[in-house]
Amino acid sequence: MTNAILIAGGGGVGKTTIAAALGVAAAEAGHRTLVLTVDPARRLASALGLEELTNQPNPNPKQQGLYAAMLDSAASWDAIARRHAPPDVAERLITNPLFEAVAHRFPSGQSYAAAEEMVTHLESGEWDLVVVDTPPAAGGIEFFSAAARMRELVGGRLLRWLTGARLPGRRGLFNFAGRPALRLADALLGGPLLEQVAEFLFDLRTTYDGISAKALDIDAHLGRAHAVVVTTTDAGPIREARRFYQEGLSPALVVFNRSLPTAWAGEVEPIEDGRAAAALNHNLNRWGVEVRRQTEVQAEFASRFPTPLASVMWMPESPVDLESLGRLVVDAHDLNLKLLGI
Amino acid sequence: MFNLRLLLVSGKGGVGKSAVTAALAMLGARRGLRVLALAMTDDLGLASHLGIDHLSHRPTEIRPGLDAAAVDRTRALDEYLRLQLHAPRIAPLGPISRGLNALADTVPGIRDIITIGKALYEAGSTEWDIVVTDTPPLGQLGSYLRAPQVIAGLVPVGRIRDQAASMEGELADSHHAGLVMVSVPEELPVVETMGAFNELTGLIAMTDVITNRMLARLPVSEEKLATIASDPHREAGLLHRSLFSSQQQWRAQLPQGPEVPYFFGVHTPGEAAALIAESLEDQV
Repeated sequence: MTNAILIAGGGGVGKTTIAAALGVAAAEAGHRTLVLTVDPARRLASALGLEELTNQPNPNPKQQGLYAAMLDSAASWDAIARRHAPPDVAERLITNPLFEAVAHRFPSGQSYAAAEEMVTHLESGEWDLVVVDTPPAAGGIEFFSAAARMRELVGGRLLRWLTGARLPGRRGLFNFAGRPALRLADALLGGPLLEQVAEFLFDLRTTYDGISAKALDIDAHLGRAHAVVVTTTDAGPIREARRFYQEGLSPALVVFNRSLPTAWAGEVEPIEDGRAAAALNHNLNRWGVEVRRQTEVQAEFASRFPTPLASVMWMPESPVDLESLGRLVVDAHDLNLKLLGI
Repeated sequence: MFNLRLLLVSGKGGVGKSAVTAALAMLGARRGLRVLALAMTDDLGLASHLGIDHLSHRPTEIRPGLDAAAVDRTRALDEYLRLQLHAPRIAPLGPISRGLNALADTVPGIRDIITIGKALYEAGSTEWDIVVTDTPPLGQLGSYLRAPQVIAGLVPVGRIRDQAASMEGELADSHHAGLVMVSVPEELPVVETMGAFNELTGLIAMTDVITNRMLARLPVSEEKLATIASDPHREAGLLHRSLFSSQQQWRAQLPQGPEVPYFFGVHTPGEAAALIAESLEDQV
């Protein structure tokens, strides 16, 4: 069976880099690996062999068994409509401006689209491992609840609210009489738009059975996947990491990125000779203060949560070639690939 | 920047925009202005940088001259309906409110315009001299700023359309509102900042780009470092030097503007915001 690793965490912590590095390490270990990525920096994309940002798996020219693809949310929403709605309805949905808006703006939409893409690859039988760089919304937590939210969106509750207790045919959607809620909605949007919304929801509802079934499927795969939470010791990313536990999720591994050598915080004899001594003592001292802070934050986290912790060293430039991506994994501390099924 | 009524602070996720928002709000208050620090989404970043546990929808005084609040989606919609559309009060968590909220999430631009509308509404209030907002990350900012146009395109007539037109004007008025972008001198944040710079032109005035986490030069050459026998001294020196030179490269691609140094060993979000405020004191 295909193994899935989900990389989650707050913005700017290096999720995409770590997803790529794990993918490289897995391919080097002989696993046929697909990295699904969201928004790579240009040079990282090209290191992965994604010269063009496509949502089709692209073989890496320099590493056998390593493939990469973009998670393109707009393209996959079209695919979702085509997969789950009757053909004529799907075309109407895709060309509807509301559909485009929902695809881009519905908070769980991008995550759901990504989750469906992930499942397609997990079930294709082509991969030993799929590494997913989760979409950035809400620190990646949303990825785990997206299927349920999506089912709710297409489930027709809003449609029933707009149209009264039962689902009518496409014509005669509204009966304003005695419905103060509808009058409010009308004041907010105006009648013609409201009707357009209802028609859109009516079309969207045709995807319900398909999406319900898929949602169960997605949840089953998420339950089996290895979740990796990436964080730094900064307050924002730590807050995002904690939310995983608050939502009842249990990551397989928490990776502290941008870590510094603990030796810098120890008792280090100041150097005395030469003109550079004062500057270097001062420099080590300030970095030592930073190391102590990192150590405290990590220890506090470890005392609260039972997950194994790994640390990846702070690098001046984020790695943008296969060799340095591979080295990131080798140089990391306690990054136990077996915990992730690699 | 403190002569404006509305200052939107944004940046890529993780660059420290909540800390900078808190710092700017504190600076404004220190200069004798009545400031509202407003989180446009209800995450806890801004609260912790202001040294409090929680922000509520209703502005709360944190210290003299400084109030804080966070936009609550449901209550903002309710307020909008009452204040702008003169609708009667509806029960916050009742079925009508739930339905309208679902509707606001489905129709493009509605949720965005209600949120940005709240910021503009507070900016127009005589209670504050200036409103400083912790705004969603740059990736989502465009859809907020473009919401008035989207509404104008979708809704043919009605109050919300008129509202949208006046909001568009207020946002674009460089004497009224401005955008402060926070960045750090690294590849993705710089690329995203410059992208936003081009994308958002015309929608709102660019007031400043603040570069966060700048390292100071280490006055020791690489050759000299190679001769240092103590491992920690040498390695910390080499890391600092290479981080510094990488930062300089990316910094050069950002516009001139205030700089905030990297603070070593800062523990609490409140402490970070206070240090940032101090460093910006003479720059803004």
